[in-house]
This record gives sequence, C-alpha cells and structure tokens, in this order.
Amino acid sequence: MMIMINTTILSWVTFIYFVAFVCYFISAIRHTNLWGRVASVTVLVGLVAHTVGLIIRWVESYKMGIGHAPLSNFYESLIFFSWTIVLLYVVFEWRIKHRSLGVFVVPMAFLAMAFASLSPNINSRIQPLIPALQSNWLTSHVMTCFMGYAAFAIAFGLGCMYLLKSLDRNPAESSKSFLRYLPSSDSLDELIYQSVVLGFVFLSLGIITGSIWAHYAWGSYWSWDPKETWSLITWLIYAAMLHSRFVRGWRGKRMAVLAIIGFAAVIFTYLGVNYLPGLHSYLQS
Amino acid sequence: MKSFFSSVKLTLALLIVIALAAVLGTVIPQQEAADTFTSRLSPGMVSVFQKLQLFDIYHSVWFMILMGLLSINLIVCSLNRLPASWKLFRGKSVLDEYDVFRDLPPEQTIMSERTRSDEASRLEGILKKNYRRVERKEAQKGVFLTGEKGNASYLGVYVIHFSILVILTGMIVGFFFGFDAYVSVAEGQSVDTVELKGGKGFKKLDFAVRCDRFTVEYYEDGTPKAYRSELTFTRNGNTIHQGAVLVNHPATVEGVRFYQASYGTVPSGDALIVVRKGRDRTHVMRIGAGQEFDLPGKEGRAKIIRVEGNFMRMGPAVKMQIQSAKRDVQFWVFQNIDEMEAAHPGLKEQVPIFDPGLFNPYVFSLITIQPRHYTGLQVNRDPGVPIVIGGSFLLVSGFMFVFFYSHRRVWIGVAQEGAKTKISIAGRSNKDRVGLDREISRLIGEIRKTGS
Repeated sequence: MMIMINTTILSWVTFIYFVAFVCYFISAIRHTNLWGRVASVTVLVGLVAHTVGLIIRWVESYKMGIGHAPLSNFYESLIFFSWTIVLLYVVFEWRIKHRSLGVFVVPMAFLAMAFASLSPNINSRIQPLIPALQSNWLTSHVMTCFMGYAAFAIAFGLGCMYLLKSLDRNPAESSKSFLRYLPSSDSLDELIYQSVVLGFVFLSLGIITGSIWAHYAWGSYWSWDPKETWSLITWLIYAAMLHSRFVRGWRGKRMAVLAIIGFAAVIFTYLGVNYLPGLHSYLQS
Repeated sequence: MKSFFSSVKLTLALLIVIALAAVLGTVIPQQEAADTFTSRLSPGMVSVFQKLQLFDIYHSVWFMILMGLLSINLIVCSLNRLPASWKLFRGKSVLDEYDVFRDLPPEQTIMSERTRSDEASRLEGILKKNYRRVERKEAQKGVFLTGEKGNASYLGVYVIHFSILVILTGMIVGFFFGFDAYVSVAEGQSVDTVELKGGKGFKKLDFAVRCDRFTVEYYEDGTPKAYRSELTFTRNGNTIHQGAVLVNHPATVEGVRFYQASYGTVPSGDALIVVRKGRDRTHVMRIGAGQEFDLPGKEGRAKIIRVEGNFMRMGPAVKMQIQSAKRDVQFWVFQNIDEMEAAHPGLKEQVPIFDPGLFNPYVFSLITIQPRHYTGLQVNRDPGVPIVIGGSFLLVSGFMFVFFYSHRRVWIGVAQEGAKTKISIAGRSNKDRVGLDREISRLIGEIRKTGS
C-alpha cells in the first residue's frame, strides 16, 4: 500500500497531541506556568500540522483525479473530528485564559487520531466518492455536525472538571492540589452552558443541512434512519438540558451530569449507530 | 388543565419520553425490517408488539399523541410567558437613581477634569455609537445616560417555538397531501402507475415515465461513480420533460420528484440480431423477448419467442417465429452456429430447427445478447417541504436571537465631585455577564482614550 505524505503528517500529529496532553498534565499537577506554555505551543504546532495534513490530503485527492474534501469516510471523519476538537479547544483556552481544560479535551483529540491511525479496520487511503456522497451538501453537513460534536466534547470535558471540582471538600486547605488549579465552579458552569449552546446550534444546523441533503439524495428529508433518529435523540437531550436551565434554573452538578449524558448520546450517534444493524443480525441468528 | 399544559416539567418529561420512544425505534426493527424479526418472537409477543404499534413506532398513534402533547405544551407555555417578555421587550429601563452605581469596582469610575455638561454630551455621543437606544436624564445629583440594545433577545424563544410548530405543520401537510412510492422501469419501457410504500396500493400518475437508457459508470478501481437514468416524461404521447436522473440529482415533473434509488437487469435481456436477405439487404436490430417486427421485404412477420443466455450449454441463442401467408416456422438462432457446425458437420440438415436460414431466403445471425437494465425510481410528492424549509430558517434565526444576543443596558452617571467630574459606569444583562463585562471594559477604554 502506498504511504501518502498526509497520513505520515497525521500520525506525527497524533504523537504531538499526546506530548501536548502530557505537558498539560504536568502543568496541572505541578502548577507551573512554564509547562503550561510548552503545552499551549505544542498543541498549536499540532493544530497547524493537522491543518496542513488535511489540506495536503485534499490536494492529493485532486492529483488522483477524484478530488473531494477529506470528509468522505470513517478515517477522514475521525481526523476531522479531532481537528475540530483541537480548534475549538484553542479558541476556548485563548478566551478563558486557563489551561486545565487541556488535560480533559486534548486526550480526546489524541484518542480520535490514534483510533484512526491504528485501528486495522479503518482504511486511511483516499477513496473516490460513491454516488450517494457526490453532493455540495457533504461539506456543509459534515462540518456543522462535527463542530457540534466538538463543542459537546468540550462541554463533556468541562462537566468532568466540574464533578472533580465538587469532590474538593475543603477548598481552602488543599491549596496545592490539582483541584485548586481548576477554574471556579461558577465559571465552569457558565462554560458548560456556553459550549452546549454552541454545540446545540451547530447540531441543529447539521440536522437541517442533513435533511436538505436527504431531500435531494434519498427522496425524503426525514426517514427515521438510525443515524437521523439518534441525532434527534441527542438534540432532545440537549434541548431538555437547556430548558431545565432557562426555566427551572438548574445549575452546577445537574448541568455537568447532563453534559456527560449528552456526550454519550453524541458518541452513540457518531459510532454506536454503526453497530445497530449488527444488533439486528444478532437477534436474527 | 391549563396549569398541567403550561408546566415545564411536562415539557421535560415529553422530551425525554419522545427521546426514549425514538431509541426504541432504533432497537426494534421497524416496518419492512420487522418481518424477519417477528418470526423469532412467539405469536403472543407479536400480537402485543402489534397492538402497541412497536413495529412502526414513528407513525404510531401514541407517538403522534406525544408529538401533539408537546405541541400543545409548547403553545400554552409560550402564550403564558409572552406578555411578560413583551413587557421586557417594550419596557423602559428606568434608572433607580444611584442604586446601580453602588459597590462599583474602582476601575468602573473615572475622574475627569472637564465640566459635567461637557462630559455628559461627550459620553452621550459614545453611547449613541454603541447602542440602539440612548436616553439622557438630568437629575439633581447629575446626568444619567442609558444605553440599551438587544431587547429583541426576549422574543427569540418565541421565534424558536413557532418554528418548531411550523416544521411539524410541514410534516403533517406532507403526511396528508403527499405520497411516497416506488417504480421500476426497464429500458424502453414506459409506465404511469407507481407502487405506494408500506403496501398502500398503487397510484396512477397524470403522465407516463419512460426509461430510455440506464448506465453505470465506474472509477478506475472499480467502485461505482455514477448511476444515470435517461428519462422521458410523456402525456398523451407528447413529451413534457426529458432529462437524466442521478443520485443526488432528482428530476421534478409537475411537483412529483423522481429519485435514482436502485437498478438491476431484466432476466432475458436484448438480442442484437442481423437480418440478411440474400446478399443485398442487411439489417441490424436490438430486440427483446416477446417483441415483433416485419421482415424487410414484407414477406412475413417475425417474433422473438425466447432469449437465452446459454441454451443447452451451447451459448447464447434466441428462438424466433416467422409467420407468413404460406408458412409458420420456428427455429433457433445460435450465436456460435459456425463453431457448432464445425464440430458437427451437417447439423443444420439433421436438426432443421437449428438452421438460422430456415425461412428462405432470409438468414438470421445473433451477434450478442445484451443485458437490459431496469432503473428503480423513488417517486415522491411532498407539498410540506417548503413549509419545513421555512420553519428551519426561522429556527436558525431564533437561535441567533436567543443565544448570541443579550439584552444589555449600560448606565453612565456624570456627577460633580469637588472640582472634578466623576464618571460611573454600570451595566446589566439578562444573560452573558462575561460579554457585558468585556463590553464595559471596552467602553471604559474608549472613554479614557478620547478623554485625554
């Protein structure tokens, strides 16, 4: 099999994200700004290399005469998912001026990359677009969906941070511990809300663009296909979460738990749905 | 009753129950897929499942009731809350004197050398640049300026709720006034009746659709690149539309959409035969089983009775029948007749029905048998689509109002303090405190910069 330059770059990116995660971890444990700065620079280098890798992959597909955006198979979706996570993370870090989120979010980007590169069932070759994917809606649909997934991934990371933070019984005493390094519960709660809103808007856009595409490709904008249904389930969970906050004033721990439940639905929509036909065939055998 | 429908607890319960029902529908095989599943269940279970409509959850009565309850809940809640939001939207931001300036962080007060009225007009100018609504109030203690924007954010949630109702209406319109059907058309065939999905019978269209050609293109590595049906739509023999239908590129004829859904080959296929009369006339024609044609010299009428891909293990062959005023003969035309004769000299004389020249002076030969495709078209009409699209646009614009705008009010107090003028800046927002803080520090920066 021909090894392409883009996959080489992308496997290096996997390694860089791992290094960035280790740096974030050390900085969180030892409370040193130096390690934090190293982590931020590393993750930025990774993001730039990741972007270059994606662009090269795009260009390579055109050189092969089957040009299309690198969003067309499982490998490419994992790579793009990881890219959106890191992109959003960098924006969040820059806005909240806090690096502890990196400990929770960067490993997700690393895992997605590692899964894409290492799993034997995932084909990393550039494949031509099958007729069903030959549509202008492919790019806008996949991009909006994965921006949504990435925002929910960040909300998940923040939710974990909130729950960890609430373990801290004596905030005053443990001034040296890792938990003290995390942002205050209030700001975590606000950040969970903001990232869920971002994800919710992008997921809605993803469902809408997907419906328009389905209208052109499948003859129906909504046909209760498992992936469609699960995206709706995810949407309903986050809608319930937002209503409970807006109208019933739920805050803090409940929001954190809902952010984690919601992300489980996101992951099932993304990965689990592929196993649903398998479940059926198990029932038939 | 009204309080039941106006409770947000009901909203949350409905959202969760609908989500759970949706989960159930992805776990239990639905509609056609249920057939193989039912054979694994006991008859008792099957009837329980059928009574609960668990094999078609998304179209079941109870799922519709859930959606109906959600809609009522949404309408009642919105109507209940709308007056209060309208008040907030229209409301004047009355300033309760100096209360808002109490406990202000030190960075939100500025001491200026200019006079009170100078500062007041300068600050009013700055506010007017940044806010939609600016008001000035002269009080005994000083001048109060109010800047306000984003009060439309109170109404965004109603836009969202309304858009959900619009989308549901579009779905209902599609359900009652649209149809969902399938038809397969062989190349050369013309049909005007389509089969409704879910075993709901057939539907006759106002026009006919003919498949002129179906082709599959492949990439170099053998994966399919394009499925293309060349279609002609006719009414009373007149062409009303003609064009190709590909995956992702449906055709719309009088509100009915045709989608490339599947394809296949017709069992027998078409024979490509050559008709030769003596030495002078040669005709090549493509013809399928059951079709007839006149002989070139009008001596009779020929009919293809059978088309076989491999007849008696002797390769492709067609069985023909020729009827004339005097004779009625049937015989086989083999593609490999020359090889067969070489292997069995005298074959045509011994087995006359293997003689392609049995009807003198005509000689037929079979060049090849070409597979004939049929194209599987999904045929839909859904008048609810524009409504659903309109609802989706409303939904997105509602999100913009609710999530990315906030009602922001900024108050500036200008008061005399000794020989200097004291400027105090305070603000409030219905959400997004962080954004407001950022906006206030930007405003302070602007005031300081232009002030010095």
